[in-house]
Amino acid sequence: MILQVQDVEKSFGGIKALEGVSLGVEENTIVGLIGPNGSGKTTLINVISGFLKVDTGRVYFEGKDISSLLPFEIARLGICRTFQLTRIFRGLTVLENMLISSNMQKEGLWQLFFNRKKMILQEKVDERAAYEILEFLEINHLKHEYAHSLSGGQQKLLSLGMALMADPGIVLLDEPVAGVNPTLANKIFEKVKLEKKKRTFLVVEHNIDILMDFCDMIYVMNKGKIVASGKPEEIQGNETVIDVYLGG
Amino acid sequence: MIFDYLLDTLIYIGIYAILAISLNLEAGYTRLMNFGKVAFFAIGAYTSTLLSIAGMPFIVGLIGGIILSALLGLLIALPTLRLRADYLAIVTLASGEILRLFFLNEQWLTDGPMGIRGIPQPMYTVFEDNYIIFYALLVYGILLICYIFAEKLINSPFGRTLKAIRDDEDAVQVFGKNTFNLKIKVFVISSCMASISGTLFAHYLAYISPDMFFPSLTFSVWTMMVIGGTANNMGVIMGAVMIQVFERGTRFLKDFVSLPVEPYNLRIIIIGLLLILFILYRPDGMIKEKKSKGRL
Repeated sequence: MILQVQDVEKSFGGIKALEGVSLGVEENTIVGLIGPNGSGKTTLINVISGFLKVDTGRVYFEGKDISSLLPFEIARLGICRTFQLTRIFRGLTVLENMLISSNMQKEGLWQLFFNRKKMILQEKVDERAAYEILEFLEINHLKHEYAHSLSGGQQKLLSLGMALMADPGIVLLDEPVAGVNPTLANKIFEKVKLEKKKRTFLVVEHNIDILMDFCDMIYVMNKGKIVASGKPEEIQGNETVIDVYLGG
Repeated sequence: MIFDYLLDTLIYIGIYAILAISLNLEAGYTRLMNFGKVAFFAIGAYTSTLLSIAGMPFIVGLIGGIILSALLGLLIALPTLRLRADYLAIVTLASGEILRLFFLNEQWLTDGPMGIRGIPQPMYTVFEDNYIIFYALLVYGILLICYIFAEKLINSPFGRTLKAIRDDEDAVQVFGKNTFNLKIKVFVISSCMASISGTLFAHYLAYISPDMFFPSLTFSVWTMMVIGGTANNMGVIMGAVMIQVFERGTRFLKDFVSLPVEPYNLRIIIIGLLLILFILYRPDGMIKEKKSKGRL
């Protein structure tokens, strides 16, 4: 298990957003997280990535308790997330966006003025890595465009690219294909699948069909609880799932 | 005579350009809303003045101002930079005023409203006859250093991350960056730069008093940045040129044209109007932010 969530509870005032949520994610798999709106999926992603603190319960990453760490500390351990509403750096170019997300700590002021050689060398290495990923996502031709000039779908691809650039152990994708046309959505998931041998994915998504095709394991949430889990085939026939999600 | 006047104008432009570049680092590139720029300018002016009066050389005063400014910057940054942007604006605005009132009331230290006269000027005996030329060169030498420093700082991974913080701070943390730490660094650096500008100001005038450090100075520098070109160091220098030329030009205008009102009194209204027009129709300022090609 690369990621383990244990009995996590989280309330906002009187609303219990997460109630005793436990789940485990195996290494090198794609795990889907589905559920109706307001069922707590994004809250769970926020808790894992440190943007929200748990009330009770624990989150373990590679065996280490991360539930009290800050977002950037969690990121440094190798957890990278994307946001439901794409959040890229609009005033930077595509390439700069990619370079920001490289996990090498290059911001040091010392080397900026006294060891420029090392900084420039590292920059070149990162640039090459960025081009490779942009090529892989087929948006390399946009590298010198401002991120805000990209289309919605291209922005989704870029934010996936940034997550890959950080080279994390696990990527938390919050609705990576929301509002994206079906062809591109499939393409994005094809890319995710190709990356599976290198890392793990936890994906929140409403597009059930696509998850059925690509996931190794699916968790279903409703009203802050996990109500079902299993392989896609098992979930498809599960009556509670049909009840809460498909409204059957 | 006219030559001296031109040099005098140039010196003021240089001093304000340094201040504008320092504001640009924090507000232009990082969007840290510092509305108390004058505080750091005043710290530089008073610290180096007091040290010089006590017999220390200019360079000691300059460095003393930088150190005190850095400390004040840290003191303000630590509690406020974790909060939302508007709190920083309120706290900095207040600290500027608190500091001015401190200088006004602590008579034992600053002579209060009387101000401090006869501030020693660096190397005055050497350049006595052409002192203003020497001082202009000194100011522009320091401006050049500040400009190169700011450009190096911005065209680097450090600067890139600052711009990313400006766009979306939470999203930067996703990539393992300690944004709080980075914001403190840039805030302290630009506070130091503002202090240098204050030191140059005090030793040029050879006289300072608390009424030179009203909040309006902060807003004047903001105007230079917005009109000149936010997030463009050359732009903000141009902004400093424009505002200074305008301020001084209006003083002479009445000698050449006859208007029903004194043009100098109109200047603030016109600068305000310019500011509004720029924000509406040219929000990037005279010179736009440069697009990076990714090469350092």
